Amino acid sequence: MRTVLKVVDNSGAKKVMCIQALKGKKGARLGDTIIASVKEAMPNGKVKKGKVVYGVVVLAAMQRGRCDGSEVKFDDNAVVLVDKQGQPIGTRVFGPVPHELRQKKHVKILTLAEHIA
Amino acid sequence: MISDIVNVIFCLGNCVLLVNLRRMRLEKCWFCSSTVYPGHGIQFVRNDAKIFHFCRSKCHKNFKMKRNPRKVKWTKAYRRLHGKDMTQDSTFEFERKRNRPERYDRNLAENTLKAIKKIDKIRSDRASDHIKNRLKTGKVQRQKEARKQLELGIHLVKAPLALAQDSSLCLPKIKVNVSQAQTEENQPMEE
Repeated sequence: MRTVLKVVDNSGAKKVMCIQALKGKKGARLGDTIIASVKEAMPNGKVKKGKVVYGVVVLAAMQRGRCDGSEVKFDDNAVVLVDKQGQPIGTRVFGPVPHELRQKKHVKILTLAEHIA
Repeated sequence: MISDIVNVIFCLGNCVLLVNLRRMRLEKCWFCSSTVYPGHGIQFVRNDAKIFHFCRSKCHKNFKMKRNPRKVKWTKAYRRLHGKDMTQDSTFEFERKRNRPERYDRNLAENTLKAIKKIDKIRSDRASDHIKNRLKTGKVQRQKEARKQLELGIHLVKAPLALAQDSSLCLPKIKVNVSQAQTEENQPMEE
């Protein structure tokens, strides 16, 4: 809640603020979906400021445990905007994404990604 | 070096997760160059998609402080740069990163495991020899200094009677200037 996340796709939004984590009592982590409100947007984008959107967390500064026991952490908190079905709104994804997304069935985001960490 | 396809079953809370094809790779810590075994350390992914592996929080914290490992004395990077540790050796060729997975062959696996042990021993022997050779000149110097010190301070080692009897073990004559002011100050202290 109230966390401002960067948007790493070309859907038009630049910054969103989390208003609800869809899963988890303690909040959303890497790979989870959130409901967010767009705080900052590009002038000609698919998404306008003030819109309520769904997003998938693709970068999280908090470390997430991996299956082999190691932990991964990223530089900042970022999200890719999706629709209710989980399909990304934008057509490009910038920066690295974690392969935790494969487990969460966000395959489309993985295919669009430049680099899978 | 050899990749095995490992079937790992993990229990995460309530649900059971079947994870296949998770290869295990021993990484090198970015800061101190020690091996990071599975289950240890943190991986940091920068926004330009460069991945940094750290073996423990010490290295991670040094990284966050923006310290250059080449300037931090206890890291392998510093030691190699300053010639403290062996840099060029044929045994290092075996450890280069290979991205092509090998098809599992039992004989190959067995031979490789034997070879790993042997190469490890050879490498560590060569590395310790390198250090020994490096320290050799210092050792000779220290022995020379010790000999000189013995000559000067023989009276601390041998009894005065032995010194008197054996004229070769005599003290070298050293002149010490004692000022008048010093002797006057000392007297009240003695009482």
